[in-house]
Amino acid sequence: MIDFLNYAVLGILTGQLYAIVAMGFVVIYRASRVFNFAQGEFVVLGGFLVWTFAIALKLPTVLAGPLSICAGALLGIVIERVFFRRLVGRSVFSMVMVTIGMIILLRGVMMMTWGAHERQFPVLLPLQPLVMGDFFIPAPLVASGILSVLAALVLNHFFNRSRAGLALAAVSEDHEVAQSLGISVRRSMALAWSLGLALSVLGAAVYLSGKTLSYNAAEIGFAALPIALLAGLESIRGLLLAGAIIGLIQGLASAYIDPILGGQASAIVPYVFMLGVLIVRPTGLFGWKIIERV
Amino acid sequence: MDPAGRFSTSYRADTALLRTSPQVVVTIAIVLALVLIAFLGSPRLLSVGTAITTSAVIAIGLQITTGYAGQVNLGQAAFTGVGAYCTAILAQRLALPFWLVIPLSGLAAAAFGWIFGLAAVRIRGFYLALTTIAAQALFPFLVLNLPSSWLGSSSGLTLPPATLFAWRLTTERDLYLLTLVVCVIMTAGAFGIVRGHNGRAFAAVRDDELAAGMTGLPVARTKAKAFFVGAFYAGVGGSLIAYQLRLINTEAFTLYQSIWFIAMIIVGGLGSIVGALVGAVAIRGTQEMLSSIGPSLAAQLPTLGNSVVFAAMNVFLGGVIIAFLIFEPDGLMRRWNILKEQYRRWPFPR
Repeated sequence: MIDFLNYAVLGILTGQLYAIVAMGFVVIYRASRVFNFAQGEFVVLGGFLVWTFAIALKLPTVLAGPLSICAGALLGIVIERVFFRRLVGRSVFSMVMVTIGMIILLRGVMMMTWGAHERQFPVLLPLQPLVMGDFFIPAPLVASGILSVLAALVLNHFFNRSRAGLALAAVSEDHEVAQSLGISVRRSMALAWSLGLALSVLGAAVYLSGKTLSYNAAEIGFAALPIALLAGLESIRGLLLAGAIIGLIQGLASAYIDPILGGQASAIVPYVFMLGVLIVRPTGLFGWKIIERV
Repeated sequence: MDPAGRFSTSYRADTALLRTSPQVVVTIAIVLALVLIAFLGSPRLLSVGTAITTSAVIAIGLQITTGYAGQVNLGQAAFTGVGAYCTAILAQRLALPFWLVIPLSGLAAAAFGWIFGLAAVRIRGFYLALTTIAAQALFPFLVLNLPSSWLGSSSGLTLPPATLFAWRLTTERDLYLLTLVVCVIMTAGAFGIVRGHNGRAFAAVRDDELAAGMTGLPVARTKAKAFFVGAFYAGVGGSLIAYQLRLINTEAFTLYQSIWFIAMIIVGGLGSIVGALVGAVAIRGTQEMLSSIGPSLAAQLPTLGNSVVFAAMNVFLGGVIIAFLIFEPDGLMRRWNILKEQYRRWPFPR
């Protein structure tokens, strides 16, 4: 029984980790209706940024963390400026296609800049586990859980209460209408992309802390998709619940199903779950119901 | 637009694919040249040709799903993989001849793709692309986790070469001829599909699915059909890949491969069968060229190393894809059509 609870808690906390990465995805989707398929590459890019500041420049964690997040936000503005500014007013389809092209481009740029080999990622979060009675929880997971909840609350406030956040919602609705109401579409898009990349850096820092940094980290970007989808793609707070649900299922699957199948059944659970969500309730738990007209 | 002086006098002439005598001449010349290459080209050139024609088949399928029906498909490589594995099983265990194996593999992949397209009944818009990502994740999982006596698990499957009577298709030339014939048949078929009522239904769903539904089109069924056709092409391509490699594993069918197929139809031009062919030649040709000059480049610039050459290829091709989307969203075919139009209207301005 205690094993079961342990696995459950671990799973839920791991789900929060995915939720941070999913936030980067949702922020961009909410602001521009663009499915950012390059989210995985963003996470890898975030990992390299943190590595550069923490290991190559030998800065202390307190400095390296915020600096790499700022660098990520800056890169987000560059990406918006170079690619997406030219696509304002064009179909969402071409923007989504650009994100697919960005997967190839970013991978190449990162390989040119940092090389293709694996490397040790700095330990940013304390390693010793928290022991509470029979519970045994790794501290990085606790930290990531706290960070995830904090980020969700801040973002939720930003999107629902602040002027800039509400402007983003208007932009996502219709570029032309937003522009004619005096909202700068360009500035809003830049804000969305820099937020998205900053969150990806945060996600990378938490996810990779103390692990190896390689291009395989991009997989987490796709693994975060089911969570974003279950939450409904527009809901930020919903990500916490969705992350908990999928993390729980995945944690239990890896504890009880993997030994039976002798394989990576848990890795596939989010995708199977995603198919289920898509078929049963495509708008997710908290997604907006959008009425379309011809 | 037809050139001045060409008037259709019968329904056949009005629906003809090759509309002018220069078109007939050029088409025959191209096909003849492609056949001639088989007997004059070096083995290296032939292997490049095989890679290009195989990719072209798969890209045409993706063109129908994405370019004509407007459904983003990130799982084309998984569909290709289903075709390849099906080929390995049919050719190895049942010892069927290749002319039966190739269409059957196509059908198997089509059924797989159709299942994911069926999700369109409930899902609209880009959500459908997510089911194809799920397909891309499920495929290697299933192969690797099923008992290794079924699909070979991580060691893969082997298969005998394709044989026609006593002729074993093993050399580069044989394989090139095989893929060329299949590619020509599949291209002709694609033209037939997109010109008929199915093609018009695909385009209607792409342009406005709500309006298409209002006019009485079964939108979900049309989308599922687009996936069926696209995956059929992928399966045929996968079958060709299986006969070339003769040892298949999941490594050849990753998400990254799917992205390259998308790159081909973007560069060639969305919504054009010839565009898919042009894109396959442009992207696969560039990849093969870079991979053959890569080692010598790395030898000349030893500081760069091999990985940098590969990375530079990604930067170049990724940049090309995005540049096309931003500056020339309809691909190379649009440029060509503009040129053709101008030539036909000359000396009048466009």
